Amino acid sequence: MRKLATDQIHGLEIPISGLSLFLPSATIAEIVNVGTLTPVPFAPPWLIGAIGWRTVAVPIVSFEALLGGAVTAPRPQSKLVVLYPLRGRADWEFVGVLTASEPRPYMVQTATTVTPSTDDLPVTPYLATGIKLGDRLFGIPDLDRLRQAFYP
Amino acid sequence: MSDTNQYLRLEVAGHSYLLPSVQRYTIEQRDNLTENLDHASGVAAWRIVRNDRWPAYALDGALRLARATPQWQRAVFLEGSPHMVGLIVDDVQLLPRGAVTATPFTPLGPSPTGEGHLFVNAWVNAGRVTLVFSPPALLGYLRSLGG
Repeated sequence: MRKLATDQIHGLEIPISGLSLFLPSATIAEIVNVGTLTPVPFAPPWLIGAIGWRTVAVPIVSFEALLGGAVTAPRPQSKLVVLYPLRGRADWEFVGVLTASEPRPYMVQTATTVTPSTDDLPVTPYLATGIKLGDRLFGIPDLDRLRQAFYP
Repeated sequence: MSDTNQYLRLEVAGHSYLLPSVQRYTIEQRDNLTENLDHASGVAAWRIVRNDRWPAYALDGALRLARATPQWQRAVFLEGSPHMVGLIVDDVQLLPRGAVTATPFTPLGPSPTGEGHLFVNAWVNAGRVTLVFSPPALLGYLRSLGG
Protein backbone atom coordinates (compact mmCIF):
# COMPACT_ATOMS: atom_id res chain seq x y z
CA MET A 1 0.00 0.00 0.00
CA ARG A 2 1.21 3.48 -0.77
CA LYS A 3 0.19 6.98 0.13
CA LEU A 4 -1.46 9.18 -2.43
CA ALA A 5 0.87 11.89 -3.63
CA THR A 6 -1.76 14.57 -3.31
CA ASP A 7 -2.07 16.18 0.12
CA GLN A 8 -5.64 17.27 -0.16
CA ILE A 9 -8.40 16.44 -2.64
CA HIS A 10 -11.87 17.87 -2.54
CA GLY A 11 -14.24 15.20 -3.76
CA LEU A 12 -17.67 13.75 -3.68
CA GLU A 13 -18.92 10.43 -2.44
CA ILE A 14 -21.31 9.05 -5.01
CA PRO A 15 -23.31 6.29 -3.36
CA ILE A 16 -24.44 3.48 -5.63
CA SER A 17 -25.92 0.17 -4.57
CA GLY A 18 -23.32 -1.78 -2.61
CA LEU A 19 -20.50 0.66 -3.15
CA SER A 20 -19.53 4.28 -3.04
CA LEU A 21 -17.58 6.01 -5.76
CA PHE A 22 -15.24 8.90 -5.15
CA LEU A 23 -14.69 11.61 -7.72
CA PRO A 24 -12.77 14.86 -7.41
CA SER A 25 -15.04 17.88 -7.22
CA ALA A 26 -13.37 19.30 -10.32
CA THR A 27 -15.00 16.58 -12.43
CA ILE A 28 -18.52 17.42 -11.26
CA ALA A 29 -20.65 20.09 -12.86
CA GLU A 30 -23.77 19.85 -10.72
CA ILE A 31 -25.94 17.58 -8.60
CA VAL A 32 -29.58 17.64 -9.63
CA ASN A 33 -32.85 15.90 -8.86
CA VAL A 34 -33.70 12.99 -11.10
CA GLY A 35 -36.67 14.48 -12.97
CA THR A 36 -37.91 12.93 -16.19
CA LEU A 37 -35.71 10.35 -17.85
CA THR A 38 -36.25 10.00 -21.58
CA PRO A 39 -35.46 6.49 -22.85
CA VAL A 40 -32.79 6.25 -25.54
CA PRO A 41 -33.60 3.41 -27.93
CA PHE A 42 -30.77 0.94 -28.65
CA ALA A 43 -28.79 2.18 -25.69
CA PRO A 44 -26.76 -0.31 -23.68
CA PRO A 45 -28.48 -1.43 -20.46
CA TRP A 46 -26.34 0.90 -18.35
CA LEU A 47 -27.61 3.97 -20.22
CA ILE A 48 -30.93 4.44 -18.47
CA GLY A 49 -32.07 7.55 -20.30
CA ALA A 50 -31.41 11.21 -20.85
CA ILE A 51 -32.42 14.28 -18.92
CA GLY A 52 -32.75 17.87 -19.98
CA TRP A 53 -30.14 19.87 -18.12
CA ARG A 54 -29.72 23.55 -18.92
CA THR A 55 -30.03 23.52 -22.72
CA VAL A 56 -28.60 20.09 -23.43
CA ALA A 57 -29.68 16.47 -23.12
CA VAL A 58 -27.45 14.54 -20.74
CA PRO A 59 -27.21 10.74 -20.91
CA ILE A 60 -27.61 9.09 -17.52
CA VAL A 61 -25.59 6.05 -16.52
CA SER A 62 -26.39 3.33 -13.99
CA PHE A 63 -22.94 2.61 -12.64
CA GLU A 64 -24.25 -0.58 -11.04
CA ALA A 65 -25.20 -1.89 -14.48
CA LEU A 66 -21.89 -0.74 -15.91
CA LEU A 67 -20.18 -2.85 -13.27
CA GLY A 68 -22.18 -5.86 -14.40
CA GLY A 69 -24.98 -5.66 -11.86
CA ALA A 70 -28.67 -5.03 -12.26
CA VAL A 71 -29.93 -1.80 -13.74
CA THR A 72 -31.07 0.40 -10.92
CA ALA A 73 -34.19 2.48 -10.97
CA PRO A 74 -34.20 5.91 -9.36
CA ARG A 75 -35.26 5.93 -5.71
CA PRO A 76 -36.88 8.85 -3.90
CA GLN A 77 -33.50 9.78 -2.39
CA SER A 78 -31.58 9.35 -5.66
CA LYS A 79 -29.76 12.23 -7.31
CA LEU A 80 -28.02 12.72 -10.60
CA VAL A 81 -24.39 13.74 -10.57
CA VAL A 82 -23.66 15.59 -13.79
CA LEU A 83 -20.03 15.14 -14.78
CA TYR A 84 -18.09 17.49 -16.98
CA PRO A 85 -17.24 16.09 -20.42
CA LEU A 86 -14.50 13.51 -20.30
CA ARG A 87 -11.07 14.43 -21.60
CA GLY A 88 -11.04 14.96 -25.35
CA ARG A 89 -14.79 15.10 -25.71
CA ALA A 90 -16.91 18.02 -26.92
CA ASP A 91 -17.81 20.66 -24.38
CA TRP A 92 -21.48 19.73 -24.45
CA GLU A 93 -20.95 16.02 -23.78
CA PHE A 94 -21.87 15.97 -20.10
CA VAL A 95 -22.67 12.59 -18.56
CA GLY A 96 -24.82 11.92 -15.52
CA VAL A 97 -24.53 9.19 -12.91
CA LEU A 98 -27.55 7.99 -10.95
CA THR A 99 -26.88 7.75 -7.24
CA ALA A 100 -28.59 5.53 -4.67
CA SER A 101 -28.76 8.36 -2.17
CA GLU A 102 -27.55 11.89 -1.56
CA PRO A 103 -23.90 12.42 -2.57
CA ARG A 104 -21.66 13.77 0.16
CA PRO A 105 -18.63 16.01 -0.08
CA TYR A 106 -15.33 14.71 1.20
CA MET A 107 -11.96 16.29 1.67
CA VAL A 108 -9.27 13.70 1.48
CA GLN A 109 -6.28 14.62 3.61
CA THR A 110 -4.44 11.36 3.56
CA ALA A 111 -5.50 8.27 1.75
CA THR A 112 -4.18 4.86 1.06
CA THR A 113 -4.69 3.20 -2.28
CA VAL A 114 -5.84 -0.35 -2.51
CA THR A 115 -6.13 -2.52 -5.54
CA PRO A 116 -9.66 -3.60 -6.38
CA SER A 117 -8.76 -7.24 -6.85
CA THR A 118 -7.49 -7.67 -3.32
CA ASP A 119 -10.21 -5.92 -1.46
CA ASP A 120 -13.94 -5.51 -1.50
CA LEU A 121 -14.09 -3.60 -4.76
CA PRO A 122 -15.59 -5.41 -7.73
CA VAL A 123 -13.15 -6.52 -10.39
CA THR A 124 -14.01 -4.34 -13.34
CA PRO A 125 -12.16 -2.26 -15.89
CA TYR A 126 -14.23 0.76 -14.91
CA LEU A 127 -12.66 1.23 -11.49
CA ALA A 128 -9.08 2.41 -11.53
CA THR A 129 -8.50 1.70 -7.90
CA GLY A 130 -9.94 2.30 -4.49
CA ILE A 131 -9.19 4.51 -1.54
CA LYS A 132 -9.79 3.99 2.11
CA LEU A 133 -11.02 6.88 4.21
CA GLY A 134 -10.96 5.62 7.74
CA ASP A 135 -12.64 2.26 7.55
CA ARG A 136 -14.59 3.12 4.43
CA LEU A 137 -13.68 1.96 0.97
CA PHE A 138 -14.43 3.98 -2.16
CA GLY A 139 -14.08 3.02 -5.78
CA ILE A 140 -12.42 5.51 -8.07
CA PRO A 141 -13.79 5.37 -11.60
CA ASP A 142 -11.29 4.93 -14.42
CA LEU A 143 -12.27 7.87 -16.57
CA ASP A 144 -10.24 6.70 -19.57
CA ARG A 145 -12.00 3.33 -19.56
CA LEU A 146 -15.32 5.05 -19.14
CA ARG A 147 -14.56 7.21 -22.14
CA GLN A 148 -13.80 4.11 -24.19
CA ALA A 149 -17.08 2.51 -23.13
CA PHE A 150 -19.12 5.64 -23.66
CA TYR A 151 -17.62 6.60 -27.02
CA PRO A 152 -16.31 3.38 -28.64
CA MET B 1 -39.88 19.20 -48.34
CA SER B 2 -36.43 20.30 -47.29
CA ASP B 3 -35.65 22.81 -44.56
CA THR B 4 -32.69 22.94 -42.24
CA ASN B 5 -34.60 24.70 -39.51
CA GLN B 6 -37.86 22.85 -39.43
CA TYR B 7 -38.78 19.57 -37.82
CA LEU B 8 -41.35 16.88 -38.22
CA ARG B 9 -42.62 15.47 -34.94
CA LEU B 10 -43.21 11.75 -35.18
CA GLU B 11 -45.24 9.86 -32.60
CA VAL B 12 -44.11 6.24 -32.54
CA ALA B 13 -45.63 3.82 -30.04
CA GLY B 14 -46.23 6.56 -27.52
CA HIS B 15 -42.86 8.25 -27.89
CA SER B 16 -42.14 11.51 -29.68
CA TYR B 17 -39.15 12.00 -31.95
CA LEU B 18 -38.10 14.76 -34.28
CA LEU B 19 -36.96 14.43 -37.85
CA PRO B 20 -35.15 17.39 -39.41
CA SER B 21 -36.72 18.51 -42.62
CA VAL B 22 -33.39 18.29 -44.39
CA GLN B 23 -34.52 14.73 -44.97
CA ARG B 24 -36.88 14.62 -47.91
CA TYR B 25 -40.04 12.78 -47.05
CA THR B 26 -43.63 12.22 -47.99
CA ILE B 27 -46.51 11.50 -45.66
CA GLU B 28 -49.01 8.93 -46.82
CA GLN B 29 -52.42 8.21 -45.42
CA ARG B 30 -53.22 4.65 -44.52
CA ASP B 31 -55.88 4.63 -47.24
CA ASN B 32 -53.14 5.03 -49.84
CA LEU B 33 -51.20 2.04 -48.56
CA THR B 34 -51.64 -1.67 -48.98
CA GLU B 35 -51.41 -3.55 -45.75
CA ASN B 36 -49.08 -6.49 -45.78
CA LEU B 37 -50.83 -9.60 -44.54
CA ASP B 38 -47.63 -11.63 -44.63
CA HIS B 39 -46.39 -10.74 -41.18
CA ALA B 40 -43.28 -12.86 -41.56
CA SER B 41 -41.62 -10.21 -43.73
CA GLY B 42 -41.79 -7.45 -41.13
CA VAL B 43 -43.29 -5.00 -43.59
CA ALA B 44 -46.48 -3.49 -42.19
CA ALA B 45 -47.68 -1.91 -45.42
CA TRP B 46 -46.64 -1.11 -48.95
CA ARG B 47 -46.96 2.03 -50.97
CA ILE B 48 -47.54 0.79 -54.46
CA VAL B 49 -46.05 3.01 -57.14
CA ARG B 50 -45.81 2.59 -60.88
CA ASN B 51 -43.14 -0.08 -61.17
CA ASP B 52 -42.16 -0.39 -57.59
CA ARG B 53 -43.41 -0.66 -54.06
CA TRP B 54 -42.08 1.02 -50.95
CA PRO B 55 -42.11 -0.81 -47.60
CA ALA B 56 -43.33 0.80 -44.39
CA TYR B 57 -42.33 -0.65 -41.04
CA ALA B 58 -44.02 -0.49 -37.67
CA LEU B 59 -41.79 -0.07 -34.64
CA ASP B 60 -42.43 -0.42 -30.93
CA GLY B 61 -41.46 1.98 -28.16
CA ALA B 62 -37.89 0.74 -28.25
CA LEU B 63 -37.88 1.24 -32.04
CA ARG B 64 -37.74 -2.49 -32.63
CA LEU B 65 -39.74 -4.06 -35.43
CA ALA B 66 -43.30 -4.67 -34.26
CA ARG B 67 -46.78 -5.43 -35.49
CA ALA B 68 -48.65 -2.25 -36.44
CA THR B 69 -51.38 -1.23 -34.05
CA PRO B 70 -54.91 -1.41 -35.50
CA GLN B 71 -55.41 2.33 -35.23
CA TRP B 72 -52.42 3.54 -37.20
CA GLN B 73 -53.25 6.21 -39.74
CA ARG B 74 -50.12 7.40 -41.49
CA ALA B 75 -46.67 6.48 -42.66
CA VAL B 76 -43.73 8.78 -43.25
CA PHE B 77 -41.61 7.74 -46.21
CA LEU B 78 -38.01 8.83 -46.29
CA GLU B 79 -36.35 9.38 -49.61
CA GLY B 80 -33.50 7.02 -50.24
CA SER B 81 -31.94 4.77 -52.78
CA PRO B 82 -33.03 2.47 -54.34
CA HIS B 83 -36.47 3.40 -53.11
CA MET B 84 -38.27 5.17 -50.31
CA VAL B 85 -38.69 3.50 -46.95
CA GLY B 86 -41.55 4.21 -44.60
CA LEU B 87 -42.17 4.35 -40.89
CA ILE B 88 -45.66 3.79 -39.50
CA VAL B 89 -46.54 6.57 -37.06
CA ASP B 90 -49.39 7.19 -34.67
CA ASP B 91 -49.22 10.87 -35.43
CA VAL B 92 -47.10 13.27 -37.41
CA GLN B 93 -46.91 17.03 -37.23
CA LEU B 94 -44.78 19.58 -39.02
CA LEU B 95 -43.66 22.00 -36.32
CA PRO B 96 -43.45 25.71 -37.11
CA ARG B 97 -40.10 26.96 -38.34
CA GLY B 98 -37.96 28.01 -35.37
CA ALA B 99 -40.14 26.18 -32.83
CA VAL B 100 -37.35 23.73 -32.04
CA THR B 101 -33.88 24.57 -30.81
CA ALA B 102 -31.92 21.37 -31.16
CA THR B 103 -28.57 20.89 -29.47
CA PRO B 104 -25.98 18.18 -30.15
CA PHE B 105 -26.45 14.90 -28.34
CA THR B 106 -24.28 11.81 -28.33
CA PRO B 107 -25.93 8.62 -27.09
CA LEU B 108 -23.41 6.53 -25.20
CA GLY B 109 -22.24 3.11 -26.29
CA PRO B 110 -21.89 1.52 -29.71
CA SER B 111 -23.80 2.85 -32.69
CA PRO B 112 -26.68 0.60 -33.67
CA THR B 113 -26.36 1.31 -37.40
CA GLY B 114 -23.57 1.50 -39.91
CA GLU B 115 -24.50 5.15 -40.38
CA GLY B 116 -23.88 5.93 -36.72
CA HIS B 117 -26.19 6.65 -33.83
CA LEU B 118 -29.90 6.99 -34.52
CA PHE B 119 -29.90 10.31 -32.70
CA VAL B 120 -27.46 13.16 -33.12
CA ASN B 121 -29.38 16.02 -31.58
CA ALA B 122 -31.96 16.60 -28.90
CA TRP B 123 -34.43 19.28 -28.04
CA VAL B 124 -34.73 20.26 -24.41
CA ASN B 125 -37.98 21.98 -23.68
CA ALA B 126 -39.15 22.66 -20.10
CA GLY B 127 -36.69 20.04 -18.88
CA ARG B 128 -38.00 17.33 -21.18
CA VAL B 129 -35.91 15.74 -23.87
CA THR B 130 -37.08 14.94 -27.36
CA LEU B 131 -34.53 13.04 -29.40
CA VAL B 132 -33.80 14.12 -32.96
CA PHE B 133 -33.19 11.44 -35.54
CA SER B 134 -30.12 11.38 -37.69
CA PRO B 135 -31.78 11.07 -41.10
CA PRO B 136 -29.07 8.84 -42.64
CA ALA B 137 -29.04 6.57 -39.60
CA LEU B 138 -32.83 6.30 -39.51
CA LEU B 139 -32.89 5.57 -43.21
CA GLY B 140 -30.15 2.98 -42.82
CA TYR B 141 -31.93 1.39 -39.90
CA LEU B 142 -35.24 1.13 -41.72
CA ARG B 143 -33.47 -0.32 -44.75
CA SER B 144 -31.80 -2.89 -42.55
CA LEU B 145 -35.21 -4.23 -41.55
CA GLY B 146 -35.48 -5.89 -44.94
CA GLY B 147 -38.49 -6.01 -47.16
